[in-house]
Amino acid sequence: MTITLLVEQLFHGLQSGVSLFLLAAGLTLILGSMNVVFLAHGSQLMVGAYAAATLIAWSGSFWLGVGLAILVCVVLGAMLEYLLVRHFYARDHMDQVLVSFGIILMANEAVRMLFGSGSLYVDVPASLASFVTILPGLPYPLYRLVVIAVGLGVFIGLYVLLRHTRLGALIRAATDNSTMTASLGINTAWLRRVIFSLGAALAGLAGMLLAPLVAVAPGMGEPLLIQSLVVIIIGGIGSVGGAFVAAMLIGVVDTLGRVMLPSLLRLLWDGAVADAAGPALAAMLIYIVMAGVLLLRPTGLAGRQA
Amino acid sequence: MLDLDRDTLTLGLLLAGFVVLPAVTYLLATPFWNEVAMRIMLLGLAAMGLNFILGHGGLVSFGHAAYIGLGAYTTAIMAQHGWTNGYLQLLMAMAVAAVVGGGIGVLVLRVTRLYFIMITLAFAQMLYFLFVSLEYYGGDDGLHVAPSRFVPFAFDEPGSLHLYYAICVVLIGTAILLVRLTHSPFGVVLRAAKDNAVRVRASGIDPQKYRLVAYVLSAVIASVAGVLFANWQQYVSPDVMHWTRSGELLVIVALGGIASQAGPLLGAVVFLLAEEMLYQLLFAIAPDANLAQHWMFLFGAMLVAVVLFARGGLMGFIGGKA
Repeated sequence: MTITLLVEQLFHGLQSGVSLFLLAAGLTLILGSMNVVFLAHGSQLMVGAYAAATLIAWSGSFWLGVGLAILVCVVLGAMLEYLLVRHFYARDHMDQVLVSFGIILMANEAVRMLFGSGSLYVDVPASLASFVTILPGLPYPLYRLVVIAVGLGVFIGLYVLLRHTRLGALIRAATDNSTMTASLGINTAWLRRVIFSLGAALAGLAGMLLAPLVAVAPGMGEPLLIQSLVVIIIGGIGSVGGAFVAAMLIGVVDTLGRVMLPSLLRLLWDGAVADAAGPALAAMLIYIVMAGVLLLRPTGLAGRQA
Repeated sequence: MLDLDRDTLTLGLLLAGFVVLPAVTYLLATPFWNEVAMRIMLLGLAAMGLNFILGHGGLVSFGHAAYIGLGAYTTAIMAQHGWTNGYLQLLMAMAVAAVVGGGIGVLVLRVTRLYFIMITLAFAQMLYFLFVSLEYYGGDDGLHVAPSRFVPFAFDEPGSLHLYYAICVVLIGTAILLVRLTHSPFGVVLRAAKDNAVRVRASGIDPQKYRLVAYVLSAVIASVAGVLFANWQQYVSPDVMHWTRSGELLVIVALGGIASQAGPLLGAVVFLLAEEMLYQLLFAIAPDANLAQHWMFLFGAMLVAVVLFARGGLMGFIGGKA
């Protein structure tokens, strides 16, 4: 275990944390302000990745493709909200879960129909394909650094939006007390559509940024969605700041755990036991962290005590 | 004793149907349907357990397939180490599910209903990844399960109906247990806590204890289904506890009718028949096009439509519930 490896994995962890944050940020706003369990957020990540892959190939430019793909995500997200999701705000959580499940099945199958069951691969844009030496002897891919920077930028942007704009004040008001917000004459139907579309854009952006790093495949969003639920639980529902801290924590803990736990356990036990227990424990690590947070603060790090 | 309303009557008819089915398939020489019926009964069994906490306790668990997986893996792992006594496997599986379910239950019951869904899903995913990462027990590929020995029965004999009727007996026993529990003071407290937990607490009863017992009970029922499932399939992989399996269980319960007695079993019948039929139907409409392999899209659309328009599930139509 060298310091270079540690730093490299730390950056990998931050990068995966950024993807989780983008997914969790929109979702935590949707959960917090509308009290609706919308679990098809991972499908919106998948849509973003596929839209980016297609539009980058079509336009020939990475950034133009990503820009158009975000537009696609926002339009599809707003349509989904208008056609389906808005009918479920007043329903119980069970119905919301079921309709999410239906949307997930349809989205995955629609992608299979349009693009086939195989994976798509997206190239890292040529301008970002180089390496940056972040430590002596440790060249790190520039693209992954840019992903981290974009994530930070989105966090700051969201913070400013929520704290210093009228729209942000409305979103915070809706998170605190949706009924009161509506009774003050705020068009909450419109506000919900805006929040939902914002979430769709953020999830789509996560998919686009991930597209050059992972295989773009049907169902790619769901494992990430479940991890982002862990992030929201740790961060506290409705809190973008909490989601950011929790996403970075989970990204780093998960990545470092997978690298370090097996060798750490080898110090304690003999090889065979450690080799079996290491990966198993690493796979469960983020959920153990979640359990710990639940024990100490059931409403999450940034959540108010009920 | 049991009051025979439409709901309980439907449940009894369904169970009777499963008991006589092998005779029908024998006469028609279609033993394939015995296999379908076993799958239906196993899913129905797990769904019954889920319905108990979901319907009567109001706890939406999005991770119940994990307990089926725990039961199945307990069987498989014991068999791999030479412990093939089925009774011992069953006891062990129930104990494992009770301990794990108890631990997770204590944690998830600390939070509100919105969190409950997310956390049950997260813990189920934890168990899924645990078994994916256990290379020694097959990892992603899963592992073969040597048939359990339930002396004097033989589950692995070709053409034998021992496993079929074992599943039947467990299903009927569980159905009776759950019907009785629903009408017992225990069930009353559970339902009361779902409607108004504050009032239950004000009358000096701690609803959390009741919810925890109910949660553990439903986990144990799912694990029993898992033990039987491992014997039926003679193979276990992490796929049994994939999050979509938990979603399917929720769909089955909702399809049949939440909080009804017959709902989960009826839902399992309709769900699995729909799965079989939809593929056949699409194939019949367009045999050359590859439409049939995309039946899942239609299934998702039907699910959305059912949730949008047909609240109360199938038992809502049959009208078992007051």
